[in-house]
Amino acid sequence: MSAPSHDSSQRGHTIPQLIVGLFACLGMGTLLALIINVGGAPNIIRARETGDIGRLILEFLYTFGIVTPLLMLAAGFASLNIARKLRARDLLTAKWSTQILFWLMIFSIFGIAVLIMNWVLASDPDSTLDVSFYPYLFVLALLLSIAFGLSWRWLRQNQDEYYVGQETLLSRQSLLAWNLLLPTVIILILIAARPLERTFIASLTNQVFAAAEEDVTEFVGFQNYARLLGFRLDVIDCERSDDGTCALDDDGAIEFLRPRDVLGEDYRALRFRTARRYELGESQLVLSVRDRDFFNAIENTLFFTVVTVAAELALGMIIALTVNSKFVGRGVMRAAMLVPWAVPTVISARLWEVMLIDNQAGVINDVLFRLGLGDGAIAWLAGSSTQIWSLIFVDVWKTTPFMALLLLAGLQTIPRDIYEAADVDGAGRVRQFFSITLPLLRPTIAIALVFRTLDAIRAFDVFDVLVGRQLQSIATYNQFVLVNEQEFGYASAVGVTIFVIIMIFTIIYVNALGVEAD
Amino acid sequence: MTRNPMIERLERVGFWLLVAAIFIFTMFPFYWALVGSLKPETEIQSPPATYLPQNLTFDNYSGQVTDTLGDIRPSGVFTQPEFLRGLFNSAVVSGLTVILALVMGSFAAYALGRLHFRGRRIMLYLVLAMTMFPLISILSGLFAITRELGVFGSITSLIITYPIFTLPFTVWVLVSFFRGLPHELEQAALVDGATAFETFYMILLPLTAPALVTTGLLAFISAWNEYLLAATFASINANARTVPVVIANFSGSVPRQEPVAEILAATVVVTIPLIILVLVFQRRIVEGLTAGAVKG
Repeated sequence: MSAPSHDSSQRGHTIPQLIVGLFACLGMGTLLALIINVGGAPNIIRARETGDIGRLILEFLYTFGIVTPLLMLAAGFASLNIARKLRARDLLTAKWSTQILFWLMIFSIFGIAVLIMNWVLASDPDSTLDVSFYPYLFVLALLLSIAFGLSWRWLRQNQDEYYVGQETLLSRQSLLAWNLLLPTVIILILIAARPLERTFIASLTNQVFAAAEEDVTEFVGFQNYARLLGFRLDVIDCERSDDGTCALDDDGAIEFLRPRDVLGEDYRALRFRTARRYELGESQLVLSVRDRDFFNAIENTLFFTVVTVAAELALGMIIALTVNSKFVGRGVMRAAMLVPWAVPTVISARLWEVMLIDNQAGVINDVLFRLGLGDGAIAWLAGSSTQIWSLIFVDVWKTTPFMALLLLAGLQTIPRDIYEAADVDGAGRVRQFFSITLPLLRPTIAIALVFRTLDAIRAFDVFDVLVGRQLQSIATYNQFVLVNEQEFGYASAVGVTIFVIIMIFTIIYVNALGVEAD
Repeated sequence: MTRNPMIERLERVGFWLLVAAIFIFTMFPFYWALVGSLKPETEIQSPPATYLPQNLTFDNYSGQVTDTLGDIRPSGVFTQPEFLRGLFNSAVVSGLTVILALVMGSFAAYALGRLHFRGRRIMLYLVLAMTMFPLISILSGLFAITRELGVFGSITSLIITYPIFTLPFTVWVLVSFFRGLPHELEQAALVDGATAFETFYMILLPLTAPALVTTGLLAFISAWNEYLLAATFASINANARTVPVVIANFSGSVPRQEPVAEILAATVVVTIPLIILVLVFQRRIVEGLTAGAVKG
């Protein structure tokens, strides 16, 4: 016969030990899963057989990435550590593990929901989902969620009696803080950290989506970058006629040899193509690149960026100065300024497409014709010389108001009495602008420039809608390689290159304008 | 200092001319869209351009045409299922994006702005870093992730990925807002026996309502306007296209002829809600934009 008190204390010892066991199993399970997965992956085994350490590391990165193994490692050890501290009846750990169990329960219930959903989807005959192992997963998830739920309940009710220790204000705050940050952390890992590392790692492979079965993804080192950025400069002689002088064509211009005929096997094998020629008397300096589309895209993007940002800054400044002075209807003006910014770029691009129709049905041609400029039939979006200017104009129209707003916000922080003092000193408006407004506005201008430049470098919408493949920016080129050609590895290399270009611009700005990073 | 009244008057006239020029520069395209959407297709396509509709019609919004085979086909934007579907998708995606951004953003901002814990600084910088790297450079990584998660070609892929640009600025604007609230609020709540979480959602959150409206609006507009991800992840499935993708691919009811009038009508339909939003919340939007720009 045992006394009831003895009985309850006995129970009080079993359940916490079960919870300790649960955490220990979780920790071991996570670590084991990691080891088995890594050790059992066929490509890892193959790489190990070759004995090439570099290849082994790359195969590992390609299959698992960095983030996931690190997280699993951390989770495994953390959970073993929790088990150890729970055995020592640490109150703080008990509080943390209560929260952890709660989230684990939620996640396993969510996992069950996903399983059921996929099961239903798999009943569709067209589905390619493999559901043969689903019953095991289902039972596992169910058992786990029950175990998590029961442990969570017990811990929540008994933590203060069973565990010993002191809870501080700081520890309570950090528990709450991490609870609140959990969704953000998940998003950060799922849609920022993982894609970022996938892009970087994939840029070193030749992976292709929708590839045939027998195509194996392989590491190609920096070959993608070499193909993307590869260029060479050569001096090519003119075509000699029999007497040793340069041959002339019908127009009297010097004829040059074709680069692919004189530059050898290498030139053709690596698919170099001429991008630029500069005449140097009797010879010619030829710039050849391996990816001419990308070269053109970079050229277009840089030109577009420099012109739009400069125009936007100048126009934006005029608008901001105008709207900053007091007049009736200023509120309406400020609202009107926001409208082009708020309208989707795609829609404003199509709207401008209509306004730029290549005959007098297009309003731009019509107005110019009536003013006596142009023949009323300028092909704004088809002619190679007008195309880029049309894009620039549409972008300037859309984003100048935004620039003006940022500058306006900066203008309003300049105290009025500085201008009054300048008036007393007899400084003119222009003088005031250059010696008061501009220096005081410098930080705002710097920020606005950084924002707009980075936006212009990655411009996608305007290019895609107005000119499609005829004139590409680096962003539309990247998307084209990814979606239409399905070259995941190569597209990733383009993405990383864009990232580097943007970084360079940012560093230049930060140094040149002295933006203080807060 | 006395001034010549003649010069002063000239200055006034010049100033108003400048104001008028700016107004025309920003607003004329919308006038053109509105007028064009009320013209029949033939009037738009035939030169010279007419500045007021000569043959007023509402067919571009809700008309029907009989094609060469004698079938009756919808010609107005409101009778086209793709366009309506796009509007619906855009509304769902933008609405859910706003809710996600505000819930996650306010949680995170409260933790980062008001609570003391180890790792706070690192988290703040991580969130900021999210705004730093351009979407286009991780496009291929995101593409792979959406395929792995099995959401490629659905609006779910957009709802999952949009926080990458809405979350960072939501967090930054809200953190600065939370920091500005007086500390006595929490102390008083603590004395009254409220837990930290109760203090957050019963006392601090209602006070941040203005900032929530601002960030919610900005998140809505940026999700409504997003094109790169929508064109990459969802355009493969006609049922998952959002309005920008639908309009970018507008082919109209008559084959091989660009449906200019319908494009203009669609422009008007999509633009009017945004114009109303901007007019109503103008001050809030400017505050949010400049705060985000100065702090982010």
